[in-house]
Amino acid sequence: MSNRIKSFINKNRQYIPLSATALLAVVAYTAGAILYPGMRNPQVFLNIFRNNSYLLISAVGMTLVVLTGGIDLSVSGVIALTTVATAALLRGGMNPWLVILLMLLMGVALGATMGVFIVYLKAQPWIATLAGMWFARGMCFFISDDAIAIKNRLFDIISRVRILIPGVTELSAARGSSIPYISIPVVVSFLVYFAGIFVSRYTRFGRTIYAIGGNEGRNEQSALLMGLPVNRTKLLVYTINGFCSALAGIFYSIFVTSGHGLYADGLEMDVIASVVIGGTMLTGGSGSVIGALFGIFINGLTQTLIQFNGSLSSWWTKIVIGLLTLLFIGVQSLVARGKSWRARVEMMGEEEAKHYRRKRWLTRAGVVAGVVILSLSAIFLPKLTNQEGFGQVTQSSRCVLQAYRREKVDEYVADGAIIVYERNGGSSCIDEIYAIYPDGLIIGDNGNEIVEKQVTVAEVDLLMAGIVDYGWFTDELYDTWHIPCGQCYGYYLTVVKDGHEKTVKGVDGGTDAPVLFWQSLSLVKAIVPQFDTSG
Amino acid sequence: MKKKSMSETFRRLTESRIFLPILALLIILLFDAIFIPEFFKIQVRGGDLYGRVIDIMRNASTVMVLAIGMTLVIATGGIDLSVGAVMAIASSVAAIMMNPTIIGVELPPNLLAFINDPNFTYSPLWEVILVTLAVSIVCGLWNGLLVAYMDIQAMVATLILMIAGRGIAQLITNGVRIQIFYEPYSFIGQGWILLPFSLYIVAILFLITWLITRKTAIGMFIESVGINPKASHYSGIKEKRIKLLAYTFCGFCAGLAGLIASSNIKTSDAFNIGKTIELDAILAVVIGGTSMSGGRFSLPASLIGALVIQAITTTMYALGVPAFALQAIKGLVVVFVILLYSEPVRVLLNKVTSEKGRPL
Repeated sequence: MSNRIKSFINKNRQYIPLSATALLAVVAYTAGAILYPGMRNPQVFLNIFRNNSYLLISAVGMTLVVLTGGIDLSVSGVIALTTVATAALLRGGMNPWLVILLMLLMGVALGATMGVFIVYLKAQPWIATLAGMWFARGMCFFISDDAIAIKNRLFDIISRVRILIPGVTELSAARGSSIPYISIPVVVSFLVYFAGIFVSRYTRFGRTIYAIGGNEGRNEQSALLMGLPVNRTKLLVYTINGFCSALAGIFYSIFVTSGHGLYADGLEMDVIASVVIGGTMLTGGSGSVIGALFGIFINGLTQTLIQFNGSLSSWWTKIVIGLLTLLFIGVQSLVARGKSWRARVEMMGEEEAKHYRRKRWLTRAGVVAGVVILSLSAIFLPKLTNQEGFGQVTQSSRCVLQAYRREKVDEYVADGAIIVYERNGGSSCIDEIYAIYPDGLIIGDNGNEIVEKQVTVAEVDLLMAGIVDYGWFTDELYDTWHIPCGQCYGYYLTVVKDGHEKTVKGVDGGTDAPVLFWQSLSLVKAIVPQFDTSG
Repeated sequence: MKKKSMSETFRRLTESRIFLPILALLIILLFDAIFIPEFFKIQVRGGDLYGRVIDIMRNASTVMVLAIGMTLVIATGGIDLSVGAVMAIASSVAAIMMNPTIIGVELPPNLLAFINDPNFTYSPLWEVILVTLAVSIVCGLWNGLLVAYMDIQAMVATLILMIAGRGIAQLITNGVRIQIFYEPYSFIGQGWILLPFSLYIVAILFLITWLITRKTAIGMFIESVGINPKASHYSGIKEKRIKLLAYTFCGFCAGLAGLIASSNIKTSDAFNIGKTIELDAILAVVIGGTSMSGGRFSLPASLIGALVIQAITTTMYALGVPAFALQAIKGLVVVFVILLYSEPVRVLLNKVTSEKGRPL
């Protein structure tokens, strides 16, 4: 019996990382559901896919690339370029279907170009795709410096249509709870996912992909000697990933209903981490497209758990993802080690083999202990920290970042204010506007009360000089904008000088407004009066 | 063999590792000299030198420091993607040590009290620098352990710290941008003694590294590990220790770069400091001609690679190209470098030179 189990495990050794991922996904979700009753809502589960549909599409393409032993860093750049180009073309009044077609063609062209560089000019994949990313991101700003809003009927429909799931709908209706739904991007992303599985497993092209990757490039040599179309396959893989990036970009632009060159920053690393967590080895040749879904799911689940916890800040996502990546790489290298161990044990004598086996079991026990400790801490750490009030605690329900109150600011400017500063959002949903007048009067308004403060004219002049010194009216200061986040503050600063008026906005906690902007802000923050009930 | 004199020295010059990066730098500078008025103008203000050329060197100093560490790592056949994140960690540690009052406080009421007090620091400067560097060395050690002793692919191993590191840096500062007012600290990145102070740091670091790698056997060991780790192992080189050393040193360099960068902007910005700078550092090494697959390396060539990148950036700024569009141009530069080092172009170049020189 035990022999049968052993041989079964040995036969399916390649699936160990994948099943570990799947197991972790199930365990993490169950733990979340136990800890946070809100997570039991099926819609929360489906939202993970709704919010990450573009990541899934991208991960499918990336898995294919990684399987050949390559890597594609251009993903985020191509996505950003797609959002900007889509938004700009739609603003220009082009037919949305034509726009989508054009974007997909652009993605294919970019992917193919990078593929040519990698395949025929023998460039390192990451250098060529890095150049691709820089190029794509740079091109975004040739199209537009600012975020462009998308107002289009088709895009509206795609983002709003709710697709009900047969079976689940009846069940929810019978229980009288709200009916869960998914969106068109989810359906498309799953189509792409299944297409990826089919291509990688059941086609000649897919087998060639597996044959190329792994063994530090030596497998590529063997594949070439076997007469497999190595060059064509690699070129095609990068082209497919270009297509996937463009498709992901279209859904991203639907998701945020706008386009900007700074979107999807660092997204390629999320995708690569998801692919690794999904059990695909970065050396190539081993893994599967199936795992991509689990990788994305775990990524999304981590974010959901952190949101539900409420006391953990957004950066915990990164730390957890980093730890998980480490964990799965550990599992992979153990699997790889098991192989070489077995080969070695077969060549050894009795005594030596015994010694090796013992060493191996020790390592395994160590890893199992590590996994147990890690998962236990993952479950209990949030609870503990919750009680101790570690980090910034969100007391109330999360609030959505509010819109910039342009009219109010204009009012103040018309009134003669030279600096207007607005801060809103955050954990307690504040909305404060401060206006600074050249004569030293400062008015603060948070919707409930109005505070006033008088400073000297010299102080205002100094403040103004400082802000202008930081390069306020130059290209150094530019807008950033990103997806509203519950715990973040939005900052808007308008400065008027010699007839120039410029507003720069930034969101705290996860965007990259220029450092100079934050320094200008801190000058202003230092001078404005405090509200009594601040915080 | 017959006409040795001129053509032979020319050949030797063109085949030298440092020739291409220097040529690239010269071409860019020539372009600047023609198209940008007063590009080479150097002013003397209060006994210190200022000017665009000095700006290039000063702005390149972070990447140069990183490139020195990265060169050794790449020479062992590895790569370190985490340098940017380590920079962020280092700057967070430094800032929190000098200005710890801000942790957890969204808007400190006493900010006004020391907003411009250049003498305020919580821990003495030497302690700050020492602890920061120690932390970054630990980061490097972690990478080295994963790569050398856990046999994890370098790109993957350092990817972990790259992802988690920024989270850790934000954790340290609680996600707040901490301003640094302490004047002696900002001297690291902003001070001038005739030349920018950061350049002296680069020079000292380069000299020490160069001496250690070229005057002792360590440099040879590194190259040997990069060319063939197995063969080095059998010939008695402790290849794991060499790798560990390289990554640890790279971590140290990243910490140093973090100090320079954060003192330059007087802020610890966990999210922005060193963002995508790992790519610049790697690019500098690649422009310097060190092969990505490991083996022979040249430290001065990597430094010039870093200067080339910065010279392009400064030139574009001087020409009024917006900051973001610059990335597109950077991408094109990489494409050009790829073309230059690619096989078909090499073959073509060889053909051209062999036609002129000797028959093949």
